[in-house]
Amino acid sequence: MKSNTFDTIVVGAGMSGGWAAKEFSEQGFKTLLLERGPHVEHIKDYPTTNWQPWEFKHRGRLTTKDKEENPIASRCYAFREDAKHFFVKDNAHPYGQVKPFDWIRGYQVGGKSIMWARQVQRWSSFDFEGPARDGYAVDWPIRYKDLAEWYTYVERFVGVSGNKDGLDILPDGDFLKPWETNAVEDYFSKEMKKHYADRHVIYGRCAHLTESKPQFIEQGRGLCMSRQICQRGCPLGGYFNVNSTLIPWALKTGNLTLRPHAVVHSVLYDEDQQKAVGVRVIDAQTKEQTDYFAKVVFVTAATLNTNLILLNSKSKRFPNGLGNDNGLMGKYIAFHNYRATINAQYEGFPNLTTEGAKPTSHYVPRFRNVYRQETDFLRGYAAGFGASRQRLTQREGYGDSLKEQLLQTKESGIWNVNSHMMGETLPKAFNQVHLDPEIVDQWGIPQLNIDVDYDDNDEKMIQDFFEQFSEMYTKAGFVNIVTRDNKRRPGNDIHEMGGVRMGTDPETSLLNRWNQLHHCKNVFVTDGACMTSTSTQNPSLTFMALSARAANYAIAEMKKGNL
Amino acid sequence: MKNAQGAAIAMNRRNAIKQLGILAGGLSFIPYACSLSPEKVYTNLPTLKKEQQDLIGWLSNNLLPEDVAQFPTPESRQDFVLTMVNDCMESEKIKAFLEGFEAFQTRLAATTSSTLTTLSVEAQKALLIQAYEDQSLSKSLINPLKQYSLLHFESSENYMKNYLDFEFMPGRYLGSVPLVQDLL
Repeated sequence: MKSNTFDTIVVGAGMSGGWAAKEFSEQGFKTLLLERGPHVEHIKDYPTTNWQPWEFKHRGRLTTKDKEENPIASRCYAFREDAKHFFVKDNAHPYGQVKPFDWIRGYQVGGKSIMWARQVQRWSSFDFEGPARDGYAVDWPIRYKDLAEWYTYVERFVGVSGNKDGLDILPDGDFLKPWETNAVEDYFSKEMKKHYADRHVIYGRCAHLTESKPQFIEQGRGLCMSRQICQRGCPLGGYFNVNSTLIPWALKTGNLTLRPHAVVHSVLYDEDQQKAVGVRVIDAQTKEQTDYFAKVVFVTAATLNTNLILLNSKSKRFPNGLGNDNGLMGKYIAFHNYRATINAQYEGFPNLTTEGAKPTSHYVPRFRNVYRQETDFLRGYAAGFGASRQRLTQREGYGDSLKEQLLQTKESGIWNVNSHMMGETLPKAFNQVHLDPEIVDQWGIPQLNIDVDYDDNDEKMIQDFFEQFSEMYTKAGFVNIVTRDNKRRPGNDIHEMGGVRMGTDPETSLLNRWNQLHHCKNVFVTDGACMTSTSTQNPSLTFMALSARAANYAIAEMKKGNL
Repeated sequence: MKNAQGAAIAMNRRNAIKQLGILAGGLSFIPYACSLSPEKVYTNLPTLKKEQQDLIGWLSNNLLPEDVAQFPTPESRQDFVLTMVNDCMESEKIKAFLEGFEAFQTRLAATTSSTLTTLSVEAQKALLIQAYEDQSLSKSLINPLKQYSLLHFESSENYMKNYLDFEFMPGRYLGSVPLVQDLL
């Protein structure tokens, strides 16, 4: 029993759980970090990290077998020959799709932080005030000012390359120097300033080290070398993942116990003490059941699995899931709408090109419905922006003449430009997850059924993106403009959020302003499940800031004897 | 008077013949005739005899000549294209590929010598041109072999580093550098 008892238990060794584990361990609390997948040790467990392109049997392509066995995972842009081993295989962990939903998962220590896209933007006041302003969903119990210092705290540890842009819609952070911008990125940014007062094209802030600082040296990380193969894991630690930073940092305190292959079945609730006392774990390999105990439990298993675990944590007091008195747990799932893209070409700057590589592009912060409601849809969208030149190679004919063409030409085409929409979807009660009443997985845990879809607001937003960006591209003199709805399925954005949302009122929310369950205060949820709304920014930075903030609150409360 | 389409076909044919002219003497004839290695098994393909595998290798090498001295790769062209067909081609496309290959073999069998080993250089050239210009054969057999051959050649270390300026660890990004539209 004693060996199974800790001060704190953290469920899930991804970004959110990693931050909680670091904070607790660093401040002297014996912490158990549970991860359902295997351990991935920094460097040692990145099998393809130093492979050259010609060393891959299929040159990076997926096999037909890969696609047939993983129709869902293989739709993810990063599920390729070099990194597919970090993704959950479809048949290994099935789930129910009431409506088509791509659930992209990474079950291992480090979670999806190994192969994430590394874009990190703060939320602004407008984002936290959104639901209160337009009345859709519940009001956030916190504002930007509550999280600002925690953003800074996280950014300093993670390392974020960015520009100080001075925008109220996208607050600046504690940035490392940016990479250079190219001629067309600069040009488009200046053109938009000329034509619009509120449309900004800025450097895309990313979690890469462009400068050395004492904290990064202490973490054992080196500068990013722009290898552009981050999804394999970086032996230099050039980008932020949990494996190269939070886990080793927490382990060296001597206070962290890391337990891989630990599938959490449920959170244990004690009816007499009226609080959670631990978690029930099924060993992923042996199926052996073990209970672990602690004063505080952080459930950070990634959005949908956090919903699953809490819904499955049933007791006499909570027959519908831990803390789920109002029956709203699992509801109001939202995500980001990535369906719309626009491409074009630019004939300017014929004598300029780029050299080397950088791990980010440009970013257009949200400009719709920021200061007032101006469209027939709610909220808005951000967008990426990239510009590059490709080498022109003639591939006509065959034989020696084809080979000669490949060897002779070194000509560049004109600039290609592109943008993709990152739209906010609205949290709706009917977009939900629930436990299957009959089907269980190999660990005896009910299957999660996902019932999430786009709505009319999303369709209108797509059309607006096409119209606005076509106009912006035209004003910039771009030609051959092509818009495309890629029909991407919900979930493929890998930004699913909600189901255990924060709020001020226990009647309409599950978590309070400190991410505690309203009705079970020693259980915290700080991953994407806690999100009341989704805004437009890539959400990981906000998950990490919320996790660090909540963990430090829990520490203070434990020290006071309140938890 | 030829219409535009007819003129284009005639031009393509001339180009094809011209290309084969450049190719003359470079055709890698009859590689399997003296090969002693056993046939390799490709699990998604029906058993292909060693001669058949070599014939696919011959086609690939004549669509884009392999250059093991200047552009070495971890595997031979023949093994690479057969691996890609076997592993990465959808079953419907494999079916079409094999049908195309069957048609090509039938054409070969209908020649005066019926095997590549005894076919004259001119007849081999004619066979290749015929296959390249046949829309159906081109779509099912020739194009996939050409695409995989291009992938194999363009992903060789020498080509990536010295012709595509690939750097494994560039460590820099220069946003505005003068463009040099040079010929190598």
